Amino acid sequence: MIFNALRDSLWLTMKLLMIILPLTISYEFLKERGLFSHTKPFFFMGITRAGLLPLITGIVIGLTYGAGVIIHSIKDHNIARREAFLILLFLSVCHAIFEDTLIFVIIGANGLVLVIARLVLAFVLTYCAYKAGLFKD
Amino acid sequence: MEIQGPLKRGLLSGLSITFMMVKVIVPCYIAIEIIKHFGLIDIIGRVCKPFMSVFGLPGEAALCLVAGYFINLYAAIAVLTPLGLHTKDITVVALMLGICHSLTLETPITKKTGANAWLLLLVRVALSLFSGVVLNLLWK
Repeated sequence: MIFNALRDSLWLTMKLLMIILPLTISYEFLKERGLFSHTKPFFFMGITRAGLLPLITGIVIGLTYGAGVIIHSIKDHNIARREAFLILLFLSVCHAIFEDTLIFVIIGANGLVLVIARLVLAFVLTYCAYKAGLFKD
Repeated sequence: MEIQGPLKRGLLSGLSITFMMVKVIVPCYIAIEIIKHFGLIDIIGRVCKPFMSVFGLPGEAALCLVAGYFINLYAAIAVLTPLGLHTKDITVVALMLGICHSLTLETPITKKTGANAWLLLLVRVALSLFSGVVLNLLWK
């Protein structure tokens, strides 16, 4: 029982290292080139240029890795708490879109319905939360 | 462009984030093993069985949803596959689980970012149940 838990967490730690390290390093390089200096919302949902990296990371490879990049960006003061909430709200509903969809398509689900439904729900929810002005900084 | 500075900063923060995540991940995996060991999924699944018709699903699918919510998608798939459901039923389950899964691990990780993890948990569960009902009604 404990052995399983340790083996599974070791495996996830390895994956985390392999994914988080390249991301945080590329993040520092992009910042060095001044790519994240715009603080104005870049996206209609209130997400800035700096927030796009954790958002896309999360959508493509998952919430765990996306959260890692968000923690990094918050520490760096490049992302406001309110924006971090919006990103996490989006990612809660819609993350790891390839992996999560494919494992269900293999056993016979309709993948197009899954992807579209999750993306639409996430966009609508995040946009509403942004417009409602929840969590002002 | 300077290379050493960003490389070092990225490496250090990547390592410290991974270390922080490990401190969350290990207890979560132990909790998951305990849940599996004591058959809690079976018990909760049996309680939820009568409510599955709301999603147009057979009662057995309750176990699959509960396994996905508490453990992870792979545990859910292991329960789902032997049921031999149709495309529509599998898609309903997949959408519900896609929105809401691995709560034992993902909620503590969300909490680490400083966001309101309980609110996000509530949103995920509610949206999962809601989308299951709606997709079942839309898909005739």
